[in-house]
Amino acid sequence: MIQDLNIELVRVDNRLVHGQILESWVPYVNAQCIVVVDDTIAGDVFNETVIRMAVPSKINLIINKVEDFAHNYVFARNSGKNTIVLFRSIKDACKAFDMGFHFDKLNIGNIHHDEFKVCCSPSVFLCDTEIDDLLKLLENAGVIVELKRVPREKAVNIKEALKNICQI
Amino acid sequence: MIGVLITTHGNLGSELIKAAELIKGLLIDVLHVSVDQKSNVEEIKKEIGSAIKKLDKGRGVLILTDLFGGTPSNISLSFMKEEKVEVVTGVNLPMLLKLSEIKEGMSLRESACFIKEHGQKNIYVASELLSKKALG
Repeated sequence: MIQDLNIELVRVDNRLVHGQILESWVPYVNAQCIVVVDDTIAGDVFNETVIRMAVPSKINLIINKVEDFAHNYVFARNSGKNTIVLFRSIKDACKAFDMGFHFDKLNIGNIHHDEFKVCCSPSVFLCDTEIDDLLKLLENAGVIVELKRVPREKAVNIKEALKNICQI
Repeated sequence: MIGVLITTHGNLGSELIKAAELIKGLLIDVLHVSVDQKSNVEEIKKEIGSAIKKLDKGRGVLILTDLFGGTPSNISLSFMKEEKVEVVTGVNLPMLLKLSEIKEGMSLRESACFIKEHGQKNIYVASELLSKKALG
C-alpha cells in the first residue's frame, strides 16, 4: 500500500487531464502528483502517451485502472506529495469509493450526457444513475460534493442543484 | 493544398480566422472547431472527424490548436496519423498569416514545422528588440 500521497483534490471530469487541470488546479493545490484513474486509458499506449506528454515533467503522473487504484491507494491527507485524483465518471469514482478509496469531498468538473436529466451547472449534466450514485455518496457516506470547474469559481451546492428533482 | 483545421477553447479559432482574413483576405481550406464548457467530448470528436474528412484533399490536414494538454489539443492528438494528420499547438495570428506560403512540394510534416517556426519566431519582447536595434 502506497501512503505517500497527500490527496488535495478528488475530481470527476470526463476530459480527465486538460486545460482546467493543468492551468488552474495544479497551481492552486500546488500539485506534485496527478493520478488518472480510468479503465480505458490505463494500458492504452497511445492515450497514456498523450497524457504523459501533456503533464509537466516535474509532476509525477500515475495512470491506473479503477480496481488497481482502489486496492493500492488509501485516501489520506498527510505528509507526502500534493495529489490530484481524476476519474472520468461518477460511476468510476463511486466504484473506487466502494472498493476502499474513501474520499470525504468530491469535486465535479465536467460531465456531459446526451440524455441527461438535470443540468446542474454549465458543464454538469447528470443522468438518473449518476443522481442515484451521488445521493448514495451524500446520504450514506456523508461525502461533500461540490460542482466547480476552476478554483476561482463559486461552488454550486449539489443539494441545491438537485432539490427540484429529489428530496435530500 | 493541405487542409487546415483550427481547434480552440471558445471562439478563439474563429476570431483568429476573422483577424487573419482582415489582413490577408479569405483563407481557403481553413475550418474551425470550437470547444466550450457545454461541449460533449464525443460530439467534438465527431465534429473534428468530419472537418478532417472535408479538408483532406489528398495531402493531409494540419491541425492548429491553442493549448498543449487542453481538451481541443487532446482530442486533436487522437486523430494523429502519419502524413494524414499533424498537430501544432500554440496557434497564433502570425502562423495563420503564413499558411498561404506553404509550398506545393512540402510534405505535411514539413508544412507543420514551417508554420511552427514562423509562430515561434514572431514572439518578441519589444524592449529587447529595441536594444538590439540600438546596438546596431
